[in-house]
Amino acid sequence: MKKFTNGWPYLACLLLLAGPGQGATASTSSSVAAARAAVRLVDWEITGKVVSERGEALPGVTVLLKGGSVGATTDANGNFALRVPETAGTLIFSYIGSVTKEVSFSGAGAINVTLSDDAKALQEVVVVGYGTMKKSSVTAAVAKIENKILDQVPAGRPETALVGRLAGVNIAQTRSTPGAAPLIRIRGAGSIDAGNDPLVVIDGFPGGSLGQINMNDVESIEVLKDASSAAIYGSRAAGGVIIVTTKKGQTGKPKLNFNTYYGVSKPMLHDDWVTGEEYYNYVVKYQNREFAWAGGDPSIPVWGDPRRPAQYQVNPIIKEEPQTIWQDEVLQRAPIQSYNFSVSGGTDAVKYYVSATHNGEEGIVKTASYKFYGVRANVDVKVNKIINMGFLLNPSYAKRRDAGSLMVSLVKYPPFVAPRNPDGTYPKARDYWGQNVTSQANPNGILNGTFNTSSALNNVGEAYLSLELLKGLNFRTSVGTNISSGSSDYFQASFATNSGSTSGSASDYRTINLLNENTLNYNRTFKDIHEVSGLLGASYQQSTSRSTSLAAVPGSFNNDIIHTLNNAIINPAGTSSYREGWGLVSYFSRLHYAFKEKYLLSGSLRADGSSRFAPDNKWGYFPSASVGWRVSQEGFMQDIPAVSELKLRGSYGATGNFNIGNFSYLGGITSVNYSPNNVFAKGMAQTSFGNDKLKWEKTNSYDFGVELGLFQNRINMVLDFYDKTTTDQLYNVAIPAITGFTGTLSNIGEIRNKGVELELNTKNLTGDFKWSTFFNVSRNRNEVVSLGGLQERTVTDTYGMSWLLRVGEPMFSYYGYRTIGVLQNAEEVKNSPVLAGSKPGNPKYQDVNGDNKIDPQDRVILGNFQPKLFLGMSNDFAWKNFDLNITMQASLGAKMYTFENQSYQGNVLGAMRRSLVETQWWSPAEPGDGKMPAAALSQLNFQGASDIYIENASFLSVRNLNLGYTLPVGIAEKFRMNSLRVYTSINNLLMVTDKNFHGYNPEGYTAGEIGGVNSMPGYNANGSEPINRVFTVGLNVSF
Amino acid sequence: MKKNKILITSLLCWSLGLGACHQELLEPNPESLLTTANFFNSAKDMDQAVLGVYSRMQARKPGDYLLLEVPTDNLYLSSNTSVAGAPELDVLAPTSANPLLNNFWISNYNIIFRANSVLNNIDKPTDYKAAQKDQFIGEAKFMRALTYFDLVRVFGGVPKVTVPLTRIDESRQVPRNSEEEIYNLIIEDLKDAIDKLPVQTSIARGRASKAAAVALLGKVYVYRKDWPNAKTYLEQLFRDFNYSLVPNFANLWKLTTEDNSEVIFALKYVEGTNGHGLSTDFIPNAGAPGVVDRGAEVALPSWSLHKKYEEGDTRKAATITEMWRAPNRPNDPLVWLPFVSKYAVPHTYGASGLDLPVLRLADMILLYAETLYELNQPDQALAQLNKVRERAFGDAAHNYSLADIPNRDAFIDKLLLERQLEFAYENERWFDLMRTSRYTTVMTAEERIYNNTTKTPLVVSLAPKAFHKYLPIPLPQIDQAAPNVLAQNEGY
Repeated sequence: MKKFTNGWPYLACLLLLAGPGQGATASTSSSVAAARAAVRLVDWEITGKVVSERGEALPGVTVLLKGGSVGATTDANGNFALRVPETAGTLIFSYIGSVTKEVSFSGAGAINVTLSDDAKALQEVVVVGYGTMKKSSVTAAVAKIENKILDQVPAGRPETALVGRLAGVNIAQTRSTPGAAPLIRIRGAGSIDAGNDPLVVIDGFPGGSLGQINMNDVESIEVLKDASSAAIYGSRAAGGVIIVTTKKGQTGKPKLNFNTYYGVSKPMLHDDWVTGEEYYNYVVKYQNREFAWAGGDPSIPVWGDPRRPAQYQVNPIIKEEPQTIWQDEVLQRAPIQSYNFSVSGGTDAVKYYVSATHNGEEGIVKTASYKFYGVRANVDVKVNKIINMGFLLNPSYAKRRDAGSLMVSLVKYPPFVAPRNPDGTYPKARDYWGQNVTSQANPNGILNGTFNTSSALNNVGEAYLSLELLKGLNFRTSVGTNISSGSSDYFQASFATNSGSTSGSASDYRTINLLNENTLNYNRTFKDIHEVSGLLGASYQQSTSRSTSLAAVPGSFNNDIIHTLNNAIINPAGTSSYREGWGLVSYFSRLHYAFKEKYLLSGSLRADGSSRFAPDNKWGYFPSASVGWRVSQEGFMQDIPAVSELKLRGSYGATGNFNIGNFSYLGGITSVNYSPNNVFAKGMAQTSFGNDKLKWEKTNSYDFGVELGLFQNRINMVLDFYDKTTTDQLYNVAIPAITGFTGTLSNIGEIRNKGVELELNTKNLTGDFKWSTFFNVSRNRNEVVSLGGLQERTVTDTYGMSWLLRVGEPMFSYYGYRTIGVLQNAEEVKNSPVLAGSKPGNPKYQDVNGDNKIDPQDRVILGNFQPKLFLGMSNDFAWKNFDLNITMQASLGAKMYTFENQSYQGNVLGAMRRSLVETQWWSPAEPGDGKMPAAALSQLNFQGASDIYIENASFLSVRNLNLGYTLPVGIAEKFRMNSLRVYTSINNLLMVTDKNFHGYNPEGYTAGEIGGVNSMPGYNANGSEPINRVFTVGLNVSF
Repeated sequence: MKKNKILITSLLCWSLGLGACHQELLEPNPESLLTTANFFNSAKDMDQAVLGVYSRMQARKPGDYLLLEVPTDNLYLSSNTSVAGAPELDVLAPTSANPLLNNFWISNYNIIFRANSVLNNIDKPTDYKAAQKDQFIGEAKFMRALTYFDLVRVFGGVPKVTVPLTRIDESRQVPRNSEEEIYNLIIEDLKDAIDKLPVQTSIARGRASKAAAVALLGKVYVYRKDWPNAKTYLEQLFRDFNYSLVPNFANLWKLTTEDNSEVIFALKYVEGTNGHGLSTDFIPNAGAPGVVDRGAEVALPSWSLHKKYEEGDTRKAATITEMWRAPNRPNDPLVWLPFVSKYAVPHTYGASGLDLPVLRLADMILLYAETLYELNQPDQALAQLNKVRERAFGDAAHNYSLADIPNRDAFIDKLLLERQLEFAYENERWFDLMRTSRYTTVMTAEERIYNNTTKTPLVVSLAPKAFHKYLPIPLPQIDQAAPNVLAQNEGY
């Protein structure tokens, strides 16, 4: 009861944030008082210091007199002082994670003790769904990564810090806008329509977003890669599960920690823009080529000669100053910063962790920005021996402004236009020359005149109560909420638009996600050989959301001053409010048994009911089973001392996917517009086909793994083979248009992902100079197994490039014509199989089926956006107080459709890149390199559907370098600090791409990844933002 | 409060086990979504469903020119903009992979689906006002007929779908019907629509009236070369309804006079909120003063058509603007840059409010002229042809005489010329060339850009093929059907 009452002041002061000092005093005084009560009058005083194997002072070590009631704990510096009766005895030193040590004494004096690490106790514990497990007992493929320096990686989002550090997990930063979420794929994508994002579980709350958390608060991140571990999350775990565990308070004095970094992002740019005379010459070539195609005579002077129609002329003004390189004009070096402040600590009864974070960055594209503010409180209270309770609260607020345009429109602007007029207005290309050049608005005008802002307020909160009903039997119930609301505002001033008319919109949303989870956990070891754990649980989750949106009638803003819609006329066609929701009911169980820590068996079953499916198909069942054999525990292995750990494991599991829209199984009727009598009216039409058989998409996975530790685990290796097949694809299957629809969501099709991944951890040097390496390599092979009767299906873009789903091939391979040269002249056009309507300068294609014409039957697979192999390597070096980490990533075999290139080849006489124009076919006399055809806007239909813009997107990069210096303890103490570390962290120190790759970012495709049958993954249409090299310096202090 | 309720319910559920909460969590009510289960219940629902049919046609119509004007001698593509699928049509090389054709197919069958849904559910509501049910049936049938008429003229025979297809496997087995069968359906639908539709004054503009159905049926019979029936319905139109040519051709293309005595059926648009992109598509990239500050410049008028407008023809200025200057450079001299200005009303970029006529009296008069000629009444045919000419020139000075039409070929030449001048960019040219079999002779060369200084046009040689009469069935649709179900047209 004493501890119970003791607990309340902490809670109270925590809530008032009145400062942790009180707690500290209380803690010390109570333990001292307890010690004094037992002390007799004449004593020996024994003092000393307790350190670890590595010489670090150990705070909080319990020091007890054997057979007596006297004891003490070490302070922050590992020092203790103890008075014992004047008689020889033994002191017992115990500390979590260390081997308990007994030291005898025969008089007063100093005793210094070194505690050795307890290999058994130090055994890593991994978080699995609804519980934790010793790593040695795990029979599934689970990757764990602890936050040691992850929070020092300068990035707006926590995912960025994980790049290259997890086998089988590909994290692609497809866009480098501030706060943009990277794409995470665990063991390949298996779903066509229902999403491939992993389920994110934050402190037990499933369905969160990594954007809600701050890396500073993260203790560890676990990735459940195979289905036997993920199946416990059943219905939503097909994309894998990422479990985030945030920091909890530890028993001991309050610890105050401050972590900050500040730095600058510098974009990696192209350096081959042409200007002045060179630019003019290419424009002349471009116009002459168009003129010749139209039947004109290109020898007629390009300017001022009426024999040449105006649309083929070239105004010499375009070679005059200022010759702006717009890339350099619209991009900037941008600051990035992060501040995190936390206090943690506690007693046996109450533990707390409280933190506040602010970070922010500005975009390298001018005007873009991102700011994040977050607070977190994790409190755990041990009420008595039976009852534990606690809560966590994590409100956060994020605000961003996105640039008014994608890259292409900004950087392709012609060089003869000045960034800004002296009077502050923005000149347009058409102000210089009224014809032929782009009619787009000035890029600076677009950026400064577009206000695209959004903000989101999130709060994850959870309270739990847990009861230890019997020894080893624990009941836990929790109620959690994830409430998010946000708003977006958009305004574009007249000078920022090409058409000169203002536009604006505003929208709000609110989502309330409620979760109640109840589990019964049993965990016991019988007779030291039978280790049994079991889990029974029930979970109820409901999400309701409401959204509203308003839009202005284009051009109806009265002025550019007021950006809100009260300054405009509301457009009824763009205004709506919407409410929807979903529910999920789940029951789950798991049983784990280990015999002598040698033979491991595990099985789980989850049943999920979801509102998203048709009435008869709401329930899905997700079983899993796995076995493990720790060969190294066998007697015969003891003769091979080199092998310190050898485990074989195999598993099977089923997971599901319900990431489709709410009510998709119903034929939805939505409003459409018409204006009889010139009065705007809403009509109604069925806009989805409906499918009353809709059910779960299911993934069946098999995994086989080997874990090997050699030479006292100096070398650790984990090798995994997996094979997962996603069946009953929630697939928007194409249907004949005579039904009135082009597709409907069905459970058809099968996708398979097979792969191998290897992790290698080595401690290369362990002396004064320490060096350890973590290396991983993953290969995934994706294959369409079935499309429900169809052999293939393509989706074709505006300019003809197709993405192919074909049985036996990876999903969404590029599908088009293979070029074998350029049609040099009229004769060659006449004598070659060509695309109908081809003319000199158009590409020459391979006539695959040899029928002497080029038509869709001649298309071939031109590559795929998915890498064939990706690798990560992280090297840690330590010497004295210096430490260095270098993390590298490589991706091999991915192809990108960099259609963006065509924008820099002369279209609408915009900016050009030398590497993209000098190789072109300009005329029979200037045939270029024989590979790059006449790339003109009017010719895109003749070259879009080919390998001309398919580029190798393989890369090797040094994603992060972190060099730190930790102040020696003695010096730190003088400044009343526990520790102080200064570091510099550099992101994207090096990026090596194929020399023929022209994009800004080899992972930067702009048309999204897989998200339905009409996906065009790998399509870089509008230019992804450049990768940033980020230089920061940081400081980590703890008091 | 609702939150608490959910919380308490779920806690209760848990402690009591299963049951009640399952329903609350697993069967939420679709609060913002109507479904096939709860729609089509009232006359108001049906009215909205009928508007849905027009809505889809309204969305399709502005893009028709890419398919029906670009491959003719009226229009050529600007090199300033690129629309997928259009370049191959511009050079008369259509392929089955053409996305424009596929979209045309998809749009039309979507309109047909919506019309079929109306007809299929028409008996469900019980609260119709007098004649309301008939009106809805008439509108749905008129729109279905209009859509099939477009389909059959572009592709030839197409699958005949008259009820919503709810089974996907069955839909894969539906083959093409013959041209004959499709026309029979069109005629049947229109006859029923004539019976059921109200007159123009009893129904909103932009919705089908009895006259629209009569006019369309007359036109259909012309395409069938069923001259006696064509005569019957066209004469019924002139006799029973009070339409007349507007004196000033240009007034047909103005926002203030878009509702007039000549338009029998038009698709209505409202600027900004429910506008179309056609007005913008023909405007030069840098815009046009008083119209819009920026154009899409998809296509420009061919000299082949442009040169045919005689001195004094008021249709020329209302169709093509020859001299241009950028709106932001009022002091620049005007330059020669002919662009299509038929739809060039002042408008917001991409959202013009100008109505797009589907059936107008001048068309009916010229179809009537053709009918009369084919029925061996050349003098009366000439009188009808001259009505349209007189309106164009403002007087009878340019009227044709019998001497101008010594034989049928000469008459058809004059008639086609008149139709080309009158209906330029109204999507009649392609069909007129095809149904008169003039396509293969007329389209061998096209004069496109005209250099006004040197007085020379740039001529493009083309290779029109007789089999182009029917454009190819879109490849994705053939692929969607079961193997060998949807036959391709000859030549592709």
